[in-house]
Amino acid sequence: MAYVAVSGGEEAIEASIRLLSYYRSGTEKDLELEVIQEKMSLLVDRVMSEAGLYSKTYAALALKQCEGSSDEAVFLLRAYRSTLKRSYDSLVADTRDMRLVRRISAAFKDIPGGQMLGASYDYTHRLMDFDLQREDAAALCQKMHQTVADQEPVEIAPCGRVSDELKTEGLIDRFEQDNEEPYDVTQNLLEFPVPRSARLQTLSRADTGFISGLAYSVLRGFGQVHPTVGELRCGYVEIEVPYLEDAAESLWIGEILLTDVEVFNEADDKDQLKLACGYGAVMGRNENKAIAMAVLDHELDTTGDYPTQNDEFVLLHGDSLEMNGFISHLKLPHYVTFQSKLDAVRKTRRERHDG
Amino acid sequence: MEKRRISRILARASKEQVRSLADAVKATHSPVIVKAPEKSLAMVRMREPVRESLFHLGEVIVCEAIVDLDGAKGVAVLMGDDFEKVLDMAVIDAACNKGVFAGYGELERLEKEQTLRLEKENAMFLQTMVSFQSMDSEVAP
Repeated sequence: MAYVAVSGGEEAIEASIRLLSYYRSGTEKDLELEVIQEKMSLLVDRVMSEAGLYSKTYAALALKQCEGSSDEAVFLLRAYRSTLKRSYDSLVADTRDMRLVRRISAAFKDIPGGQMLGASYDYTHRLMDFDLQREDAAALCQKMHQTVADQEPVEIAPCGRVSDELKTEGLIDRFEQDNEEPYDVTQNLLEFPVPRSARLQTLSRADTGFISGLAYSVLRGFGQVHPTVGELRCGYVEIEVPYLEDAAESLWIGEILLTDVEVFNEADDKDQLKLACGYGAVMGRNENKAIAMAVLDHELDTTGDYPTQNDEFVLLHGDSLEMNGFISHLKLPHYVTFQSKLDAVRKTRRERHDG
Repeated sequence: MEKRRISRILARASKEQVRSLADAVKATHSPVIVKAPEKSLAMVRMREPVRESLFHLGEVIVCEAIVDLDGAKGVAVLMGDDFEKVLDMAVIDAACNKGVFAGYGELERLEKEQTLRLEKENAMFLQTMVSFQSMDSEVAP
């Protein structure tokens, strides 16, 4: 494939960029960032997760700027992120300590700490609510604030993992803490085979649709596993960074909402004496993505000929920015390359006609 | 009071509440900005439960500031881009390090208020706790 620089069209391009505003000008009402952030939070979560950058406000701004396109918003956030230096690595966060807002298990009905449904569309009828066409947002906000204010406070207690119990029984392998420096896919190219840390980071920031589709293919038979969701937890994880003036101290800089999933699979040893696990963790509330990640995490531990068992296939094709960028490049002028294809076809036709 | 605890209270407090505490320091001292507030990134490291290994979840936007108060340094880092708040937090940190911060009582009051709000929210979530009616044992004999 050859690329040849072409010039011309600058004025048309500038006019095209200006015209983008036309598509956001159909109403005199502004779409405030706070509204996007608070009322489109699942979309905001998806964009943050795929960008690998947790900032609700900036994700909302990016979505506003590009008319709600999640892949354009990811592009904007990644581009902005590249202008900032990285000053800190956080202390190690562990979702065992998260402030839970939802926790379920499809493996056991009785789990230590109990199952808490939290807020989920899983239990709704999916009927359109036409009352929302004329919703009193202020009344809703006040009502929910009052609901919280009226509660009797209950102390927040972290919950152990479902897998901890199975590890105690010896049904799942227990590993010692591994403090090896994790790979960083934002600063290094992937080299195969990749370390586990690179796999998890890549899957966590992968396009939701891509990894959901791949996990679906595994479940439909193009893979080795049909896992059970041992535990799905969603909640807030506190983020701390070292205090530079005193190594014994740390600074609490905020908390992030994330979804964390462990799936249990059929035994992967020949005697089938133990269960195998897959893990998924994604920014925000995005349960299907976290489950899909956990499915693929385990699938990549297996060997075989399915695409989902191939590290390179799974990890190199799911990045929102890269895949959309590459597909998008097909729209760029390919005049010379196409002309040569056309010439080849014409030549073949001529030869057959003459022959 | 540990830095972790102070920074958590301040991070959860409103900008106005933090400003009020910083203003009390500034009324008697003149902190000098060593590093003006600026944005940067912090990478979130996590431990995964399957192999107990570490991985990077992704980055968060943070802002940070450093001030000097009569020879004592004050450092603040905060998720987001609230430059005024992070600067006020750095002033409070410097006052703590200098031993002239008089707002610990107010910090404890704010912490109680924050904990109460979170515990009330927790109570609301706990209303969705499932109570299963068991029909037979799920544990194989």
